[in-house]
Amino acid sequence: MQLTQKNINNSNLLLKVNNLSVFFNTPEGNIQVVKDANFSLNKGECLGVVGESGSGKTQTFFSITGLLSSNGYCKGSAIFKGFDLITSSEEEKRRYLGKSIGFIFQDPMTSLTPHMKIGKQLSEIAIFHEKLSSKLAMERSLEVLDIVKMPKSRDLINSYPHELSGGMKQRIMIAISLMCRPELIIADEPTTALDVTTQSEILSIFNDLKSNMNIGIILISHNIGVIAETSDNVAVMKNGLIVENGSTFNVLTNPKDEYTKHLLSCIPPWLEK
Amino acid sequence: MRTNMIKFIVKRLLIAIPTLLVIIAFGFIMMRVAPGGPFTSERALPPEIERNIQEAYNLNKPIWEQFYIYIKNLSVGDFGPSFKYKDFTVNELILSGLPVSVTLGLSSIIISLFIGCFLGIVAAIKRNTYFDYSVMSISLIGICIPSFVMAPLLSLFFGLYLGLLPTSGWNGGNVLNLILPITALSLPQIAVISRMMRASTIEVLNSNFIRTARSKGLSPSYIVRKHVIRASILPIIEYLAPASAGLMTGSIIVEQIFGLPGIGRYFVVGALQRDYTLVSGVMILYASLLIALILVTDILRALLDPRVKL
Amino acid sequence: MFGIRKYDNKMVNKGASIVKGRSLWIDARRRLFQNKAAVTALFLLIVISLLSIFGPFFLQHNFSDTDWGSIYQSPNLQTGHYLGTDGNGRDLLVRILYGGRLSLSIGLIATLVSVFIGVIYGTIAGYFGGKLDIFMMRVVEILYAMPYLIFVIILMVVFGRNIYFLFLAIGAVEWLTMARIVRGQTISLKEKEFIETSKALGQSDLLIIIKHIIPNLAGPIVVYITLMVPSVIILESFLSFLGLGVQEPLTSWGVLISEGSREMEAAWWLLIFPGLFMVITLASLNFIGDGLRDAIDPKEY
Repeated sequence: MQLTQKNINNSNLLLKVNNLSVFFNTPEGNIQVVKDANFSLNKGECLGVVGESGSGKTQTFFSITGLLSSNGYCKGSAIFKGFDLITSSEEEKRRYLGKSIGFIFQDPMTSLTPHMKIGKQLSEIAIFHEKLSSKLAMERSLEVLDIVKMPKSRDLINSYPHELSGGMKQRIMIAISLMCRPELIIADEPTTALDVTTQSEILSIFNDLKSNMNIGIILISHNIGVIAETSDNVAVMKNGLIVENGSTFNVLTNPKDEYTKHLLSCIPPWLEK
Repeated sequence: MRTNMIKFIVKRLLIAIPTLLVIIAFGFIMMRVAPGGPFTSERALPPEIERNIQEAYNLNKPIWEQFYIYIKNLSVGDFGPSFKYKDFTVNELILSGLPVSVTLGLSSIIISLFIGCFLGIVAAIKRNTYFDYSVMSISLIGICIPSFVMAPLLSLFFGLYLGLLPTSGWNGGNVLNLILPITALSLPQIAVISRMMRASTIEVLNSNFIRTARSKGLSPSYIVRKHVIRASILPIIEYLAPASAGLMTGSIIVEQIFGLPGIGRYFVVGALQRDYTLVSGVMILYASLLIALILVTDILRALLDPRVKL
Repeated sequence: MFGIRKYDNKMVNKGASIVKGRSLWIDARRRLFQNKAAVTALFLLIVISLLSIFGPFFLQHNFSDTDWGSIYQSPNLQTGHYLGTDGNGRDLLVRILYGGRLSLSIGLIATLVSVFIGVIYGTIAGYFGGKLDIFMMRVVEILYAMPYLIFVIILMVVFGRNIYFLFLAIGAVEWLTMARIVRGQTISLKEKEFIETSKALGQSDLLIIIKHIIPNLAGPIVVYITLMVPSVIILESFLSFLGLGVQEPLTSWGVLISEGSREMEAAWWLLIFPGLFMVITLASLNFIGDGLRDAIDPKEY
């Protein structure tokens, strides 16, 4: 909470979320999955959001980006560079989505359109947002493929998603989020579906993006190890509540909340250092 | 890709041969065992037809040779003489009916695909709105009213009651004469296709890759055009062959009710009069058409879905 | 993996199929009865079935009695011809109800015949797999390429228009889809742990098929039956419409609609009422089928 206070008048401030609540209308009644979430993010910083599955991590960020399923709605505010993402219309939001805000999803295997070539899936973003010609957009695609360290990018843009491995697809997803030089990337469990080697390669790409390109990153994960490796700040979520929020070092070394302590105690002792 | 395609087509055609042989053998056996068939002795036929059949099938030769001759004739497209229509071969009858049936069938399939897919997609996008509910309820009614109820109702209402459209006859393929038969043929297919398209579009709209497309900030109409349709139309492609089979049988009824001189009409007349050569000729024609359609379906699917290898 | 214990046979059954099966069915029944459309449809179908079975006993006219004094009477409550009469002065309502008996029973019996063939064929192909499966499915594929309605028409032409043969002919061509569905389900069931367990316990293939595979196929089979009965009713009516199905003096909805469409200019009720009975029945069956499918395999649409 202290951290949030400090950030208010900061020109580096990228995203400020105030009292965000998310609800779903279900046959069993109205369910609140996120309760008054408050947090903020600076440029070039990484905020880790940690919690067990079902704690509302993903829905928090789906609500900010307007990706909630049709029976969901939200209250509160999420100010991105002075623009409220919650109260804005779909159309206004679309000017930011994919352009200034990139989203990376949990399951790379199913998150790419199966019948569209990789090059098209990348270049369409720049064509749509920046009105680039398809030739220029294709060149941009090759550039971002270099950033995510994909070899043979010229062959790659002519292949279909089913021809790639899971790790490659996740790099493509990162490349998609980078197409229009975003300022914020939200990554929802980006490494959960991947094996450990690929996982560390992906995380090192995130570290590069953060330090070299000054991109703010929100990293959602249930894996404290992943968070510890990349995040500057961390928010711990449980049952829709942010139970603890602070710098990664403070939270991990000196947890205040019972749940955080419990989470940390679940890490096998040989990983603690 | 191209050589693969040719290889695939050749392979499928080779597989189709045994299928067709089974169907032809079925027709041949039917002609032999059927009471009053061309090969049975208790028939009472005009002598000229009898002579034609004797010549065509070489009845004095052994069975296998007869079957061989029958297939040999078929392979050059000769279905033999008609059993009931004097002086006509089955070829002549089929050829005279073909333009009518093809016009009916093709226009119906194109119209039902176009309207059905459109309604299905819009209903899926606007799901749980009044548009969705009305399309789905009307299409349910469309499914439950079979063509032999729909066709007379249409002709009763638009033909006799309102007097807007002619209720029977081909009239050289006049558009006015075609409206009612094509409507009667298309309505059930539109109903089925729109429901299928709605279901598959909803499934695609809920899929992860559409969520990705939305996270790119693309406009909804662009997402539907480029990301949704090609994926959601796949089940419709699968349905193409059954739909065409449905249109074939539907056209039998529709040609009957609207008095159109198509193949279906000849088939019914042939069936009622036990014109076995005509009936088995039509059956072989329909079967070949279906086999060709299944082949087209497989090719289309491979073109639309890169994951499918030919 | 480590401590292989000897499981009691009954326990395996309970744990795997019976307990899961029962709760599934209770759940499904609850969901089905919450579905208003399906409940209404079920009610309508029961009413039409009961009317068809018992209705004729309570009506004053017989289905084949001709009455030359009342030809082409429009629906009239006084004369007892509630839905009018046809060109031979026969009461339409009684004929519709008799036709309903025939159409419904053909629908049911032909469906059961095809389900019987399809389930046996599909489980054998799916369970044993390998070359047998390839061969059996090849046969199905060949038969699929046959325009099946034309096939039935030819069978009817060749072997005469016998009503029992009609049951058989329809059943014999409708089993293909059932066989395909059952085969697919069997293949996926075969991989499940409880089947592996039964195999490890040394149960015979036949026993596994009867005790474990077929009960777990019940869901798709029931759904398919409700969707197939209407298609069989349509098929029968279609044949009868062409004059290739049920023969006079017997009648079915198809025969009545065929007569009605020929005489609709003079007597609209001869087309409208049989058509209405048939459409309501078909719609009900479709609604029940949809309801059952949603109840057994709930997806959010």
